Amino acid sequence: MRALSRETTALTLLLAPVTLFLAIFFLIPLGIMAVYSLLEPGLYGGVEWSFYHWNYGRILGWADGFIEEFDIVYLQVLGRSMGLAALTVISTLLICFPVAFWISRLPAKQKNFFIFLITLPFFTSMIVRLYAWVLILRDSGFANQLLEWLGLISEPLDLMFTGTAVIIGMVYIFIPFMFLPIYSSIEKLDMSLVQASQDLGASPFTTFRRIVLPSVMPGVIAGCILVFIPSLGNFVVPDLLGGARVVMIGNLVEQQFLYARNWPFGAALSMVIIAVMMLLMAVYLFRVVKADSNR
Amino acid sequence: MNRSLGKTLLTGYGWLFFLFLYAPVALIVIYSFNANPINVMTWKGFTWDWYVGLFGGATTVSESSLYVDSTDQLLDALLTSLKVAFSATVIATVMGTCAALAMARYRFRFKGFYQALLFVPMVMPDIVLGIALLIFFVGAGISLGSTSIVIGHCTFLTSYVFIVVSARLAGMNPLVEAASADLGANEWVTFRRITLPLILPGVIGGALLSFIISMDDLVITYFISGVDSTTLPVYILSMIRRGIKPEINAIATLMLLFSIAIAAAGIYFKSRNTAQ
Repeated sequence: MRALSRETTALTLLLAPVTLFLAIFFLIPLGIMAVYSLLEPGLYGGVEWSFYHWNYGRILGWADGFIEEFDIVYLQVLGRSMGLAALTVISTLLICFPVAFWISRLPAKQKNFFIFLITLPFFTSMIVRLYAWVLILRDSGFANQLLEWLGLISEPLDLMFTGTAVIIGMVYIFIPFMFLPIYSSIEKLDMSLVQASQDLGASPFTTFRRIVLPSVMPGVIAGCILVFIPSLGNFVVPDLLGGARVVMIGNLVEQQFLYARNWPFGAALSMVIIAVMMLLMAVYLFRVVKADSNR
Repeated sequence: MNRSLGKTLLTGYGWLFFLFLYAPVALIVIYSFNANPINVMTWKGFTWDWYVGLFGGATTVSESSLYVDSTDQLLDALLTSLKVAFSATVIATVMGTCAALAMARYRFRFKGFYQALLFVPMVMPDIVLGIALLIFFVGAGISLGSTSIVIGHCTFLTSYVFIVVSARLAGMNPLVEAASADLGANEWVTFRRITLPLILPGVIGGALLSFIISMDDLVITYFISGVDSTTLPVYILSMIRRGIKPEINAIATLMLLFSIAIAAAGIYFKSRNTAQ
């Protein structure tokens, strides 16, 4: 009995700091934000403490134009954000998969060195890495100068402030998030199965679909989620590379908080981000984790 | 298609990939020595001026093309960043290590809950966490400044430390601890003499990771930094927003050097980690 209570004391001491800290500074703030999204915005910033579902009505369409007006632009921005995030996911996936395959077949020493080279950007400042693309894509930037020097163009191209620029920026900063999960699942792939499949006369495509794909799928899905979530709510990349032309939902949230000072509406917008994120996590948990435990 | 051709193509593709990864960053470093004060990306000769200017030295360039009004602003931002990263790392390392020990060494009822609680802050989009904390701090009357930034950073850094230390604990032989207990050492002595030395590489690795992530955090800091405490990334964002000037290249190059140094330290500890 005494031993048990000693153990309880130790456990309490170990868990108390993190429990208190995350309860106060993580769970409660998120709870308050959820409440805020249902409050009436005050006239000069601030909030009125009355129930007000029109914040969501403005975004999702039931605002009747009397108290608040529904504006399709918010759904368009949400759609654009999801589209750009999805394209970022697809691009990183297509870029990383062959590279992960290539590196997994190299001798151990080279392998470790290349993995180091891919994780290194994770340690370097994100804003610096994005700034590099500002230098490249600007009107007087590196890309335009190079193309002009090669004689391919005579007038600088409009590369900045396009959806493509935003996607390039996001792909560039999120590549390690896609690469590492894919790589670790390819590493685990049993090459003798691939060999066997080929020996038995399966075409490369069939081998890929029946042998490779099922076993790397968990890594691919994890990578997709790890890239999609931060891309969806991103506001720095569209801020620097998208400008006023490519506004994403993160920019809307920022505007509501720092310029328009309509905090309840901004809170409602970020609840929408959370909703999309939770939906994805739910799909992930049900499909992947379940499939994993069934094996 | 024959095999060796496929292999050559794949290798070529791999090199292109690394070019894509490193060429943009290399451009910053190269052009940070460009003497052209107006068009940053048009090469006009080699100069150290932008670095000299950063440290407040006399340069041959005119004042107007200099960007930082005084080096003080930049140094202030750097100092805030270092202070915040240091405090947040200490707090997060203690909390994360404790949580990892509790999860690895004890059985209790709410384990699943804690697993989720420590996982969610890492995947929460940072803008959401940033504004949630902003609403909270303003509502609770906590003034925005270094303290609020440290608190904000600890919410997600704890999870990173937890993961790194947990991985280390998972690779450890629990029998060593049992042996120590059998030989009559109490829990504290066992922890201090056996467990701590064994998990130390993990703890240091987690701390380094937190330090880097804290130094680099832009979005959460952006929302909760208040008026007179700016960190380096936030300061650089505001510089880029105002317009591109050559000094940013020099600052960015110094930051790259700094992060590579820390990453090298991390690799060093990791190699000691596996050597044991």
